[in-house]
Amino acid sequence: MACLFLAACTTTNTRLADSAKSAGKPPAGAKVLIVQPDIELSLLTVSGVPEARADWSKSARDNVRAELKAAANAKSLSLRELDPSAVEEPKVAQLLRLNEAVGGSIQGFDYGLYKLPTKKGFDWTLGEGARALGQTYDADYALFTFSRGAFSSGGRKAAMVGMALLGVSLPAAQQTAFVSLVDLKTGRVVWYNFAVAGSDCDMRTPEGAKTFAAALLKDAPL
Amino acid sequence: MTRSARRFAGVTALVTVAALLAAPARSDPRTPHLRPAENTDEGGIWSLSDKTEQQAKLSAERNRDPALNAYVQGLTCKLAAEYCDEIRVYVMDRPFFNASMAPNGYTEVWSGLLLRAETEDELAFVLGHEIGHFAENHSIEAQRAMKTRANNALALQVLVSAVAMGAAVGSGSPQSASDIMRAAGSVNDLIYLSAIAGYFSYSRENESEADTLGFRRMVKAGYDPAAGAEMWRSQIDETAASTFPKVREAQARASIFSTHPLSVERVGALQTLAKGSPAGKTGDRKAYRAVIRPHLAAWLRDDLRRRDYGETLALIHRLESLEEDQGVLAFYRAEAYRQRRGEGDLIRAREAYTASVAFVDAPSAAWRNLGDLAAQAGDKAAARSAYETYLVRAPQAQDRWLVEASLKKLAEGTAT
Repeated sequence: MACLFLAACTTTNTRLADSAKSAGKPPAGAKVLIVQPDIELSLLTVSGVPEARADWSKSARDNVRAELKAAANAKSLSLRELDPSAVEEPKVAQLLRLNEAVGGSIQGFDYGLYKLPTKKGFDWTLGEGARALGQTYDADYALFTFSRGAFSSGGRKAAMVGMALLGVSLPAAQQTAFVSLVDLKTGRVVWYNFAVAGSDCDMRTPEGAKTFAAALLKDAPL
Repeated sequence: MTRSARRFAGVTALVTVAALLAAPARSDPRTPHLRPAENTDEGGIWSLSDKTEQQAKLSAERNRDPALNAYVQGLTCKLAAEYCDEIRVYVMDRPFFNASMAPNGYTEVWSGLLLRAETEDELAFVLGHEIGHFAENHSIEAQRAMKTRANNALALQVLVSAVAMGAAVGSGSPQSASDIMRAAGSVNDLIYLSAIAGYFSYSRENESEADTLGFRRMVKAGYDPAAGAEMWRSQIDETAASTFPKVREAQARASIFSTHPLSVERVGALQTLAKGSPAGKTGDRKAYRAVIRPHLAAWLRDDLRRRDYGETLALIHRLESLEEDQGVLAFYRAEAYRQRRGEGDLIRAREAYTASVAFVDAPSAAWRNLGDLAAQAGDKAAARSAYETYLVRAPQAQDRWLVEASLKKLAEGTAT
């Protein structure tokens, strides 16, 4: 129980980082497209039914986006932005969804959810179709952020403690996120990271978002 | 199980069922042009719906025919003028009988539904049904009801676990203690199961309510009161013709009606409603067919992708009774037989292709496939004539070289 409340943001070094160092690091002045973070947060009610909270998702999105921009600005990169809700081209919308699927697979295969007995390394890519994104938004790289999560309501926390005393464990709410940097000329995912948010990085607040973004961007070749 | 454990299980089970059957309160019909605050459960659903709408808008499956989309949108406005500018219709090319209306007004109408409706009246009933869900905020009611039930279930689980632990501690022997804990476990399963059952029975109430509301809107707009029950009956007949035993038995489809079987009860309820209102004029099947005609062939091809040839054939049979589009319909009937490859299906397919080519609207491919089947059956003269007609009708066909090669083979007498 104690470790649940003490846990900090946890992040794992990406397996893609090594090859990225040589091939994928954006040079100074590179044009980076920051895709507005896709964040959906919900309230985990006492019985475990999640309830989507638009206000939390919105403030988390704004906070994390500001942090990503600050981080990229500090590295003298030239920024562009993409708001998925304003996308008109089906091709661009499909690339955004493809990135979500590829990011989910990277999380699954490289971060221990599934293990394949023999296949070790993957060459993750969105394919050459990613060029369309670069052309439409005049960018060399794209930085994607995807996060889903829930926060326990007061009642849920009480129920967890109560049921734990009765020998039944109820799952707690948590928030996870992944960030990926994609080379828009080749479509390759040059860098990727996955993190679980702890109690000190509540994305809904500017301070929490700062901590969380720092954890997510750890070792980013930006 | 010891006697004390059994009694314990019995009493708690009764309390449980009583507590879970208490239905949550109804909300009022929605006022047009209100957007919920972002920090509410409803605001959360709206924001997710906005996102899904954005994906639907750019989906490759979206049917982009402006006339068709305007037609369905217009029909929606005719049925619900008060929500007209809030409801945004997207026709999707998906071969299933389905329509949905999200609380933010984003509406999908699938081609499988448009293909199966026989009159504007039937389509109006289904849209009215969806508007009923929309106006009564059923999606938010369903979420709240689920939450209430889940909360009740959790509270009871806590109670059962606590009581059981007390009983087990005081029971005196390790054997009866474990029996009591086991009984508590099965009561917890029961609580969970009745919560689920409650959820489904609640949905069924919502569905019936939407049926009634859809019926009222449709009749008010001047449509045939019998159309609702008609539409249902056609669906039940089509399901009964399914290739798959599971579909036939379940009598349910992936559809707006999917949470429960296509029940005779609901058809009966609609028939009673229809009897209570003055008989209207029967829907105009020809006028409706003219609306969907530009998409008829593409939608039938999509329908075959479901590989439920029994249903597709029943559907085509129903569409053929209007005696229009006979070339196209006979062609797809032939395609269904050819793809099904059951006993005698190739003979039926050839007959249907032959029937198709007698009509002016027969697709060129009918001659090619007729040529293939004739050649297979060893009827060289018929094959040659069919292939030749195909090449005359479709001189630019991509498979021209293939058909020419077949003709050459036939001429050489080596065709098998």
